[in-house]
Amino acid sequence: MNVGLIWTIIALYVLFGIIIAWLSRTGKQQSMASYFIGDRKLNGFISAMSYSATTFSAFMLVGLAGLTYNGGIGAYGFEIIYIVGVSLVAIFGPRFWLVGKKYGYVTPSEMLGDRYQNKAVAIVSAVSSCLFLIPYSAVQLTGIGYLLQGVTGNAISHTTGVLIATVLALVFTYIAGIRSVAWTDALQSIVMIISSTIVVLLLIQHLGGFQSFADAIEANDPQAYTVPGNGFFDFWTFLGLTIPWFFFSISNPQVSQRLYMPASLRSMRHMLLGFLVFGLIYTFVSVVWGFSASILYPNLDNPDMATPTLLSSDIIPPILGVLVMVGIMAAAISTIDSILLTLSSLFSRDIYANMKKGTTDRKQLAVGKIVIPIIAILAYLFAQLQLDLIAVLSVSSSAGLIVVVPAIIGTFFWKKGTAAGVISSIVISGLLVIYIEITGGLLFGLKSGIWGLAVAFLVFVTVSLATKAPEQKAEEFLHYIKSHMKKTS
Amino acid sequence: MNKKEKIWGTIILIIVISCYVIPYTIFQHVTKWYGSFLVWTVLAIIAILINVKLTEAWGDKE
Repeated sequence: MNVGLIWTIIALYVLFGIIIAWLSRTGKQQSMASYFIGDRKLNGFISAMSYSATTFSAFMLVGLAGLTYNGGIGAYGFEIIYIVGVSLVAIFGPRFWLVGKKYGYVTPSEMLGDRYQNKAVAIVSAVSSCLFLIPYSAVQLTGIGYLLQGVTGNAISHTTGVLIATVLALVFTYIAGIRSVAWTDALQSIVMIISSTIVVLLLIQHLGGFQSFADAIEANDPQAYTVPGNGFFDFWTFLGLTIPWFFFSISNPQVSQRLYMPASLRSMRHMLLGFLVFGLIYTFVSVVWGFSASILYPNLDNPDMATPTLLSSDIIPPILGVLVMVGIMAAAISTIDSILLTLSSLFSRDIYANMKKGTTDRKQLAVGKIVIPIIAILAYLFAQLQLDLIAVLSVSSSAGLIVVVPAIIGTFFWKKGTAAGVISSIVISGLLVIYIEITGGLLFGLKSGIWGLAVAFLVFVTVSLATKAPEQKAEEFLHYIKSHMKKTS
Repeated sequence: MNKKEKIWGTIILIIVISCYVIPYTIFQHVTKWYGSFLVWTVLAIIAILINVKLTEAWGDKE
C-alpha cells in the first residue's frame, strides 16, 4: 500500500475531524453537564451514530474479523449476543435518563453514590471503572498500531500509529468535550459503514457471488459454520466471552453515561434503534471480512492481521483500502476519546469532588480537563506492551466492569440494596476477576466474566440483606421512576 | 417494570437463551450458511423488532 496515499488520507481525516469538532461548539462549555454530557440535549441521530462509534472500535474490523478467521461463525454469535444485550437500554435507558434529569447526575457512579446514599460507593465504582477501562483504551490503541504497521509493511511503525491515535483522541476531546466527540464520532461512523460495506460487496463479488462465497467457506473448513467448530468456541469459552458483552451497555460507563445525554426519550429511541441496525450491519460486515481472509489467505500467523492483509490486497482498490484503514483508525479514536471523557468525569465528579470538600462545578471541570491527558498517557504506555489477541484482552476489561451490574440492577429494581452491598460486591468480585486474569484467565474451567458476575450478585444480595438500606431514598427514587414510566407504556 | 416491559423483556430473554441453545444443539452439525449463521441473524432481527415495539411510546416530553 502506498505510504504517501495513507498519509494524505490521514491528513484529510485530521483536517475534516478538526473542522467538524470546531463546528460542533455551542455555548461556552463551562459546566460539567455541558462539557461531559452535552447539557442533556443531544439529538437522536448524532446520539445513534456516536453510540455506534463509541461501542464499535478497532475491535470489530480487526479483532472480530480475526476471531472469525480463527474460530469461525462463533465470532458472529458472540457479537449477536452483544447486540441483543443492548436491548437492556430499552429497560434501563429511560430510567437512567429520568433520574439523571431529576437529580442532575453526570456519571453513573454519581448515581450509585446518591441512590445508595454513600460517597464511598461513587468512589469505589469510579476507581474500578478506571482500573479496567484504561487497559481497554490501550487495546484500541494497539489495534491501530497493528493496522498501520500491517497495511504499510512496517513503513508506519506500531509506535507511530499509537502516538497518532493518542494525540487525535486528545484533540477531539479538548475542542468541545462531548460535543466534538459526538460529532466526529458521527462523521466517522457514517464513512465507516459505507466504505466497509463496499469492501464486503467487492470481496463477495471477487469470490463469485454470495453462493460461491458461502460454498468456499464450507470447502475451506466445514466446521467454520458451526460452534464449537474447530474447538475455539467451546460452550464455556463462548459463555465466558459473551456474558460480559451482554451487559456491556449498562456495565461500561462510556456507554451507560450516554443514557443521560439524549434530548428526549424519543431521541433515546432513535439512538437505540439506530445503533441496533448499525450494529447488525457492521457485525455482518466484520464477519464476512474474516471469512474472506480465511478463504483467500488461510495461513496467516496472526489472525489480527486478517484485515490488514485484505485491505492491502489487489481485490480492494488502493484508495478504498486506505480509506477503510483510516476509518478503522478513526473508529478506535472515537472509542478512546469517549473513554477519556468518561474517565475524567468519573475522576473529577466521583473521586476528587467526594474526597475534597466544597469543590465547585467549575473546579471539577478544571480537574477533569487536567486528568484527560494523564489518562491518555497511561493508555499509551499500556499499548506499548503489545499484548496478544486484541479481542481477548478487550473482553477481560469487560469482565472487570461487569462487577457493577448487580448494583445497577439494584438501583432501579431492589429497595433493599445497600452501600455495603455495593462496595463489597465491586471490591471482592473485581479483585477476583483480576486474580483470574493474572493466573491464566480460568478458574475451575470458567472465565473471569462468569465468576465476576456470579460472585458480585451473591455478595451484593447477601451483604445487603445483612445491612440497613437507605429506605427513604430508595422509596423516593423508585416512586419517581414508577410514576413516570407509566407514561411510556 | 410495567406490564409491557415484562412481556417483551421475557421474549428477549427467550431469544438470548435461544442464541446459546440452538447453535450448540440442533445446529451443531449443520455445516451450511443456513445453520447457525442464519439462526443468529434471524434472532437478532427479531430482537430489533421487539425494541421497536418496546420503545414506540417514548415521546418528546417524558
